[in-house]
Amino acid sequence: MASHHHHQQLQYSVFPGYNPPNTGYINQEGSSYDFGELEQAIALQGYNKAHGDENKLPLYTTVPRPAATLDMFPSWPMRVHQTPRASNSSTDSGSAVHVAIANTPEMHSHIEPESPISGNGYSRKTSSEQHQQMLRQQLQHLHIPEQLEMESEGGSPVTTGGSSHSQQTPKPFSEKRKGIGSTSEKPVDTKTQRRLAQNREAARKSRLRKKAYVQQLESSRIKLAQLEQDLQRARSQGLLVGGSGVSVGGSLSSGAAIFDMEYVRWLDNDQRHMSELRKGLQSHLSDNDLRVIVDNFVAHYDEIFRLKAVAAKSDVFHLITGMWTTPAERCFLWMGGFRPSELIKMLIIQLDPLTEQQVVGLYSLQQSSQQAEEALSQGLDQLHQSMVETIALGSVNDGVHHMAVALGKLTNLEGFVRQADNLRQQTLHQLHRILTVRQAAKCFLVISEYYGRLRALSTLWASRPREALIGDEDLCQTTTDLQMVQPPSQIHFSNFG
Amino acid sequence: MQYQAVSATGYYYNCIPVTRHHYYPTVHAVDPLERIAKLVSQNAVVIFSLSTCCMCYAVKSLFSGMGVNPTVYELDEDPVRGREIERALVRLMGNSAVVPVVFIGGELVGSMDRVMGSHINGTLVPLLKKAGALWL
Repeated sequence: MASHHHHQQLQYSVFPGYNPPNTGYINQEGSSYDFGELEQAIALQGYNKAHGDENKLPLYTTVPRPAATLDMFPSWPMRVHQTPRASNSSTDSGSAVHVAIANTPEMHSHIEPESPISGNGYSRKTSSEQHQQMLRQQLQHLHIPEQLEMESEGGSPVTTGGSSHSQQTPKPFSEKRKGIGSTSEKPVDTKTQRRLAQNREAARKSRLRKKAYVQQLESSRIKLAQLEQDLQRARSQGLLVGGSGVSVGGSLSSGAAIFDMEYVRWLDNDQRHMSELRKGLQSHLSDNDLRVIVDNFVAHYDEIFRLKAVAAKSDVFHLITGMWTTPAERCFLWMGGFRPSELIKMLIIQLDPLTEQQVVGLYSLQQSSQQAEEALSQGLDQLHQSMVETIALGSVNDGVHHMAVALGKLTNLEGFVRQADNLRQQTLHQLHRILTVRQAAKCFLVISEYYGRLRALSTLWASRPREALIGDEDLCQTTTDLQMVQPPSQIHFSNFG
Repeated sequence: MQYQAVSATGYYYNCIPVTRHHYYPTVHAVDPLERIAKLVSQNAVVIFSLSTCCMCYAVKSLFSGMGVNPTVYELDEDPVRGREIERALVRLMGNSAVVPVVFIGGELVGSMDRVMGSHINGTLVPLLKKAGALWL
């Protein structure tokens, strides 16, 4: 079903204007697309070509609106459109066809609640069966048009099968078949032509369906090729760490791709600095030597803030949505990075022993960073509110103007990300000032280890054992059943929540 | 927070109709930098802002959160003099994206990043106290 669902989504992407309301129809077909119809459609095309397309020209010249041509899975609403179309297309039998199709609405009025059914008087059994049957009938009709009388008397086994089916529900064909026997003196041509017209309809629909399917295949092939290219590029650039460390989207802007590459290099440097700090602390280096290492570490962070400032100019959304980070980091992201006050909170506990002055300094740093974060968050909220108003209140007349205004407001995002990074940078510098060299070394080691663990958490989460999931499936099943059975209780919970 | 019109009274010694300013700007106009100096000396904390700017909202919010009551001049609410001051601020700051600009105690502190930087490194609060905008 997963592949089928994907198939369904692909369809929507290929026809952006197409809005099929009849997902029930698709489900009826089963889990896979019905290839049988297509083969018959292709064969049908051959037959049609063999018999020349002059009969079909009336249909082709009056190509209906786009909505109708893309009607791969015709549903209840579409049938209304078919009526004028059919009357346009057919000639003498136009009125007859019109009558036949017009008859169908009331036939279907009692069937409709059960499932959306395509027009043209199909019965209520599975649509694929109907289609195969229709196509078989069309093949029969077109291949041996002179044998219509034989068929009409129910001679051929295929149509008897069809007529027995059609006896369940009123169908124009079955009516015609029975009717021909009883009203032999009536012009057979009318009914035959009506049938032929319906055949042509169905044949055209099959052709269109086939074309659409082929288009789908082409577009998804292109998409697949692009994805493979991206994947290869990402692998060669070392962006995929262990398969799930850093995920790469299908299409990155150039600014985002460049930043991601730089970030990977920065992470490698981070590892290096971390090991240097660890070694420096363990080997009890002199303060001067340690100071060099600590200064290098601060410069290392200055580097990433500089890179982020550059990236913010070209792709601010990449930064602010955290697509450059791991999922666990992204979950707790604040304005495109870490929250300085949280970092201080985490460090205060781990940096014992501290002098009283240092403690005061750290707490006031925590408070001022909290105030600054609050101010920036409120500013961003204000931007959000302003954008909502701009986008919502744009009338049709000022449509373009409002979009331009909205675009202008979006440029402010870069300023907020830069201010947030500035805050982070200033916080690290202040830490460097408050603490002694040894304390600073330990502090920066703690910071690196913390984020290393957070990144590792994402990898571990992605590769957690699947057996646990399989065991939980039954559990999930029952819970979903419970949810379905007791929807009112959910509503109650939402009121309290 | 106090909002004041940029056109502070007392500048012009004789009552001249506004329309005349268009024709004789050099005769009756006051140098915008001088005007800025005058305005910032009148209050402890002065913010030049635009009513539509979100970063200005952020800096106002920062000061409010600290319990400070800054004097805000919305440059877009004064059509004539606002633009002059904006241009003067651009010259002062050497930057095109100029607002918000913060003055404390008559001294230029700068834009949002300088304000936040000074808050983080602990120099903002003493400055505010010295200017009398904050009492413990």
